[in-house]
Amino acid sequence: MTLAELEQSYGESMAAVRDATDATALDQVRVRYVGRNGLIPALVKQMKDVPAADRPAFGKRLQTWRAELEELLEARKGEVAAPVASGPVFDATLPGQWSVPGVEHPVTQVIAEVARIFGKLGFTVADGPDVETRFNNFTALNTAAHHPSMDAADTFWFDDDLLLRTQTSPVQVRVMTAHKPPVRIITPGRCYRRDTTDATHSANFHQTEGLYVDTRPVSLADLKSTLAYFAREMMGSKVGVRFRPHFFPFTEPSVEVDFSCHICGGSGCRVCKQSGWIEIAGAGMVDPRVYRFVGYDPEEVYGYAFGMGVERIAMIKYGIKDIRHLYENDVRFLSQFG
Amino acid sequence: MKVPVSWLNEYVDVADLSVKELSDKLTFAGIEVEGVETVGALLDDNFVVGEVVACERHPNADRLSVCRVSDGAEEWQVVCGAPNVRSGLKVAFAKIGAVVPEGGFVIKRAKLRGVESFGMICSARELQLSEDHEGIMELDGALVAGTLLREVLPAPETVFDLEITWNRSDCLSIIGVAREFAAVLKRELRLPSVDFSEAGEPASSFAKVVVEDTVGCPRYTARILQGIKDRPSPAWMSRRLELCGVRSLGLTVDVTNYVMLECGQPLHAFDYTTLAERTIVVRRARQGEELTTIDGEVRRLDTDMVVIADAVRATAIAGVMGGEATEVTGTTSNVLLESATFAAPSIKATATKLGMRSESSHRFERTVDGELADWGSRRAAALLVELGGATAAPGVIDIDNRKAKSTTVALRFKRARDVIGVELGDDAMVEILERLGFVVTERDGVRGVFKVPSWRCDIELEADLIEEVARMHGLDAIPERAPVAVVSSDNDEPFRARAKCRATLTSLGFTEAMHYSFLSAAELDAFDKRSGAGRLVLPNPVSADYAVMRDSLLPQMVGTLGRNASRQVMSCALFEMGRVFGNSSGHPWEEERVALGILGAVGRGKLDLRRPVKNDEAVLWLRGALEALAVKLHAGRVELRGCEHPAMEKGWAFEIVIDGKMTGVMGAISGALRHQWRLTAPMVVAELQAEVLLANSFARGVLQDVPTFPAVRRDVAFLISESVTHEAIVGCIKKVAPQELTGVEIFDMFNLVESGVVLRSVGYALEFRSTSRTLTDNEVNKAIEKVMQALKDELKVVIRDK
Ligand SMILES: [Zn+2]
Repeated sequence: MTLAELEQSYGESMAAVRDATDATALDQVRVRYVGRNGLIPALVKQMKDVPAADRPAFGKRLQTWRAELEELLEARKGEVAAPVASGPVFDATLPGQWSVPGVEHPVTQVIAEVARIFGKLGFTVADGPDVETRFNNFTALNTAAHHPSMDAADTFWFDDDLLLRTQTSPVQVRVMTAHKPPVRIITPGRCYRRDTTDATHSANFHQTEGLYVDTRPVSLADLKSTLAYFAREMMGSKVGVRFRPHFFPFTEPSVEVDFSCHICGGSGCRVCKQSGWIEIAGAGMVDPRVYRFVGYDPEEVYGYAFGMGVERIAMIKYGIKDIRHLYENDVRFLSQFG
Repeated sequence: MKVPVSWLNEYVDVADLSVKELSDKLTFAGIEVEGVETVGALLDDNFVVGEVVACERHPNADRLSVCRVSDGAEEWQVVCGAPNVRSGLKVAFAKIGAVVPEGGFVIKRAKLRGVESFGMICSARELQLSEDHEGIMELDGALVAGTLLREVLPAPETVFDLEITWNRSDCLSIIGVAREFAAVLKRELRLPSVDFSEAGEPASSFAKVVVEDTVGCPRYTARILQGIKDRPSPAWMSRRLELCGVRSLGLTVDVTNYVMLECGQPLHAFDYTTLAERTIVVRRARQGEELTTIDGEVRRLDTDMVVIADAVRATAIAGVMGGEATEVTGTTSNVLLESATFAAPSIKATATKLGMRSESSHRFERTVDGELADWGSRRAAALLVELGGATAAPGVIDIDNRKAKSTTVALRFKRARDVIGVELGDDAMVEILERLGFVVTERDGVRGVFKVPSWRCDIELEADLIEEVARMHGLDAIPERAPVAVVSSDNDEPFRARAKCRATLTSLGFTEAMHYSFLSAAELDAFDKRSGAGRLVLPNPVSADYAVMRDSLLPQMVGTLGRNASRQVMSCALFEMGRVFGNSSGHPWEEERVALGILGAVGRGKLDLRRPVKNDEAVLWLRGALEALAVKLHAGRVELRGCEHPAMEKGWAFEIVIDGKMTGVMGAISGALRHQWRLTAPMVVAELQAEVLLANSFARGVLQDVPTFPAVRRDVAFLISESVTHEAIVGCIKKVAPQELTGVEIFDMFNLVESGVVLRSVGYALEFRSTSRTLTDNEVNKAIEKVMQALKDELKVVIRDK
């Protein structure tokens, strides 16, 4: 056999492997070329008949031929349908075998989202203890002793001084007491009020407040712009905000913040009680009296603060109808927040 | 607070505005509209005054009557169920075809228990006039049957239910709300007349007033009115009271309530003749002093409370409620009319302590304008003179100890613009404040000084004026811009570390649970009584179920796993990150923890879920999760040390040691605890201190070079006593192996019984690698021999035949 003939046989053998449609055919090709009495072993035996000059090239080619052919045979083995009797059939419809990831609690997810959004605007997360002092929770926040929120009936008091914080504002007091302005924080955390639990009230709940205090003018317009950005990021690009005048002891002016309804777009639906707006937050410019309590000079600083209920946002965002679901920890509920 | 629009319209023109417009104006003035109610309905010609001509018991029903009702032209047979229906009564009669406002149904010819009925006699509720459904309305007997009802009944009324914020006590009255509307709408406020004629001896000759507690009572006024004919109040007055939710009780009391609703000044009328020595003393109550209030309750007072007393006894709890002994009754004709100012904190404390809330205390708690005391008194006197034929003694006894009678506050115009963020001219600001009743006393290009109107007790600072300007200018006018990011360098690593911990746990298959911070003592006890004395207990819990701050996350974790199991959840893996609390000799402490819990075959593939889970398997799953968490958070090596725990099975409780530090507890929950959920499968839980776990979350080790030389792996397999631990085996191997030993991994373990002795068969894969050369077979063989020898010598292992 000449080198040219060798190349032709090579081509034929490779084609035969490619064309084989089942395992039997493939095996026949294998036997024909590389079996004990196949063509390639036969050619090896005939090497002595090849002209001496061609012999090295011939031998080398036989080697590569055999290697390539066997590689292709191996590759094709997996492709051609195996005979039914040859082993178990793989069922690709079986469930995958890997552990299923868990999910974070919806309250955590909302807090993470709030931190992400305000993080983009340069707010960092600050935290404080759940057991707080009267000073941090009320006095420094300019809450008069006879303000309704001081009612023993509404607050968990341990004694005359210590209580479970009713809001996360004491964190603001702590941060301002410890740092000079600028202060730009959000304060997600757990709060407590002596509410009887029902579909919308829970004695144990979460709030996140925000505070920005600086030595350059900060205005209600800055507050509105910041909250409008938050509204769009949190609830969707079409959601807008409006302010309504209100009263909080620690801000002046104080406003309540409504988001336009993300469900109906403002035309009115069940979620927004036909008003087109959903009450989300309380906010305002920090009351000068608060600055005095934390050792800032009210003439030197400007600032705003806002606060919102985390569960409330979770309920609105995810359509949760009863706040109690959030503390029941039924995995059939939780697993839907993946 | 209820505000009928028709009453409001008396002081400011609002009748031309729709309910929606009024609602919006209130909302954007800062007064929340809680509800809008329509009282009464437009009645068509089918509603007439009817006369019950005859009334007999229904033959087939005890509670029904069969009446003949005249509509002025014809008589109709009507079946009526009201207990008060009787012959001769003038009634509200709905004829066939009438649509009843409440419920909206149409009156048709009907048969009731076999008797035909042609129309209906209406109750007040059916006509939406009040909630009264006790019986049918009894109309004025002088009315002529057939008169259209809409001509004799009050027109439909719109009543707003307003939520007044705590600071705006001035709006706790119809006039207060009207004043706000006048400012918002730029319309005129009309106040009623407080003029009346006086006669006889001066008021001061009738009574002596002594104010002992001038802090609790900065102002006390008393007027004397005699010869009041306490007839029923005129219809317009009782109607207004009723629209505001106040019952009509006779002219004198009605006038005090009416004036309070109208202007916000609570008033109290004493029966003058019952006051011992005709004396009023405003003083602190004596400790234990008792007073029966007009609601019939005996109140025990203390020295923090201010009372109105006569010469011998307390006669009223100041600003909260009057006493029974001196109250005005139907026969009272001479009264001492109190119109006073009481200090908010004192009233608040008293009302709270006594658990009493009245319309009066509600207003005083929020501060009442001291100027109102006289105006309110005059207004009430004028009404009693006009409507009750009273004779007013000339003058007033007025003990006025108020400190500052007026305040001034300065507003820097630029500061206001800066804070609000709008371009608003100085004049515009001044105009807004003037509209609200502020008076400019000084002004230049920089600032204005404003005298605060007496009713605005909430205005003290410049910021308060800025709020008024912002609110009246309109919060909608505040522009929205692109938000500006301001970078602060505060460290938020603690927050990110928690996020990383949560992300790791969820990726490991754990779902986050969240429980209350408090639970019942019983739940904590069932889990671990040992901590009992160190718990932080809530003195005033909402219920016994939430009476103690949790000192561990595990009781709730166990409960939640159990509850899920009882809801047919076959397997779950949960975690919680939260705070626990305690009380160390009077000092509360709190600490963050991470809890994990697993139930069911969470560590197995889906094709092997039914094989029962054993404790060792489950403990190793959870240990694996802890190790993975520790790796991700760079916390260090995880070790378990056997311990005792009342909630855990004997031999299955462990202390968790991380990086050599005691960090928590882990174990398989005891059968006794699992029993309440009928759970036989293991439930394994762990709890760790977050501080230890999270301390190095973002630590970075020194980067190691990727190995350049190949590794040589050898397996060793042997039989060993069950009592020898994996840790001991690895320690033994490492001790004798050369430094090229880079890994020891267990790959096989099972127990076999040989001649009655339990032996453990284990296999370890050893990896050798040098950082400087390729190891030879010979070297590795030598090392393996050394390892084998050490295992034989020290741990008495028997090498397994291959
Ligand atoms: Zn909507």
